[in-house]
Amino acid sequence: MKRFLYPAVTGLVILGIWWIASAAGAFPIGTVPSPPEVATAYGEEIASGRLIADVIASLYRVAWGFTAGVLAAVPLGLVVGRSLATRQALLPWINFFRSLSPIAWIPFAIVWFGVGDPPAIFILFVAVFFQITLATSAAVATVPKIYYRVAEDMGLSDSDQLFKITLPAIMPQLVTALRVAIGVAWMVVVAAEMIAVRSGLGFLIVDARNGLRMDLVVCGMITIGTIGIGLDVLFARLTKIPSVRWGFDR
Amino acid sequence: MSEDREALEEGEAVLSLEGVGFDYPKLPVIDGLDLKVAKHELVVCVGPSGCGKSTLLSLLGGHLAPTRGTVRRKGHSRTIYQDGGLFPWLTARENIAGGLPRDTAPETRNKKIAEWLEITRLGEFANSYPHQLSGGMRQRVELARALAAETDILLLDEPFSALDYQSRTRMRRELVATLAERPRTVVFVTHDIEEAVQIADRVLVLASRPTHVRRILELPPGRSRTPASPGAAEAEQAIMDELGLS
Repeated sequence: MKRFLYPAVTGLVILGIWWIASAAGAFPIGTVPSPPEVATAYGEEIASGRLIADVIASLYRVAWGFTAGVLAAVPLGLVVGRSLATRQALLPWINFFRSLSPIAWIPFAIVWFGVGDPPAIFILFVAVFFQITLATSAAVATVPKIYYRVAEDMGLSDSDQLFKITLPAIMPQLVTALRVAIGVAWMVVVAAEMIAVRSGLGFLIVDARNGLRMDLVVCGMITIGTIGIGLDVLFARLTKIPSVRWGFDR
Repeated sequence: MSEDREALEEGEAVLSLEGVGFDYPKLPVIDGLDLKVAKHELVVCVGPSGCGKSTLLSLLGGHLAPTRGTVRRKGHSRTIYQDGGLFPWLTARENIAGGLPRDTAPETRNKKIAEWLEITRLGEFANSYPHQLSGGMRQRVELARALAAETDILLLDEPFSALDYQSRTRMRRELVATLAERPRTVVFVTHDIEEAVQIADRVLVLASRPTHVRRILELPPGRSRTPASPGAAEAEQAIMDELGLS
């Protein structure tokens, strides 16, 4: 109960301070909208269907970019983690690209993919790919050797060892990495949509700013934050899977 | 056992090491090690900490190749480790199932799993994961998984050293009882001299690195000795003398 009560009380306190400050005229006109203005904007956006369309557009891009990034990164991370030579050859470069902000790829994304969904999805792919590759390879490199010795005793082939030992052994670390990566992807999609596309929650914010509609900006921010929490809760549920739980209970 | 030992004299060893040496870079671990283990014999290796006992098991299990000499193994082996050998993402039942020969028919598989769960008294914990089990239960699952494999050779690397005294004693008895019903050739590594004398047919006293056999002690028949059993106290003293612990 306290799990929900405490954050709800904190939220109400923030809302109260914001409301009182707005009513007292603490903010210069046009800089911070009042809660009723934001609530009205919310109503308009929902009624017009624009907010739902923007949410769907952002989630669509995140789903594609995140999925493609994970599907490409996990196999590469497995190879990098298992092979010392590959690790020595690739790890510094994976680290190099991981250190670059995904936003730095926006000029290339637009030149290579034009406008619309593809450049935003590409930027999301980049944001997820290097991060998950590094996390997977680090997880693989720390799988205890004893598991492979037992597997050899059992006569498991290399491919059996990959699917029956390595993958399940890294799942707790991978789930944690996925949870972090989905948060990063959600932050990046908003930034990417501010530049490369004309839909989505990022575009909503930049479009509202251009129209000096700060009430819509706050409306977009609240939606982004709420969905961010929702995605985190969703991915946190992966840690409850019985064959993954062992990595979190010890 | 005596027939097996006679066969060993005639050269029919299940496990044999001849002039085996093993070096890590700039670190000789084992040198000039000779050993023959007869079918269904239980040989216990004791030696100073860090003398290469686990390396010896890795050589016997085929996980390491000797730098010098020859290792021969007649049949498949399974190794039981001190701790951490169970797959934490599998339940006790699934871990034991993983030990069964891969061509086991499904109905035989279920029967054997149930049998091993019963033998190891883990029936009500069949669906528990290793981190939900006590140290003693985990070791029983390890034991069941290794024995379920029905391999000819068992290699045990200080399997009970992480357990408290009572659990260790109980596990030792269970191992001896299980081996009486289902004989295997066993090489058991321990640092516990009392444990070695209680269960061994022969005790190998290993020297410090580079490891070689310092002395072999033959023990009277029977694998459930107590400190009061004939020859037990003398054997313990002899081992302690060899290890410089007297």
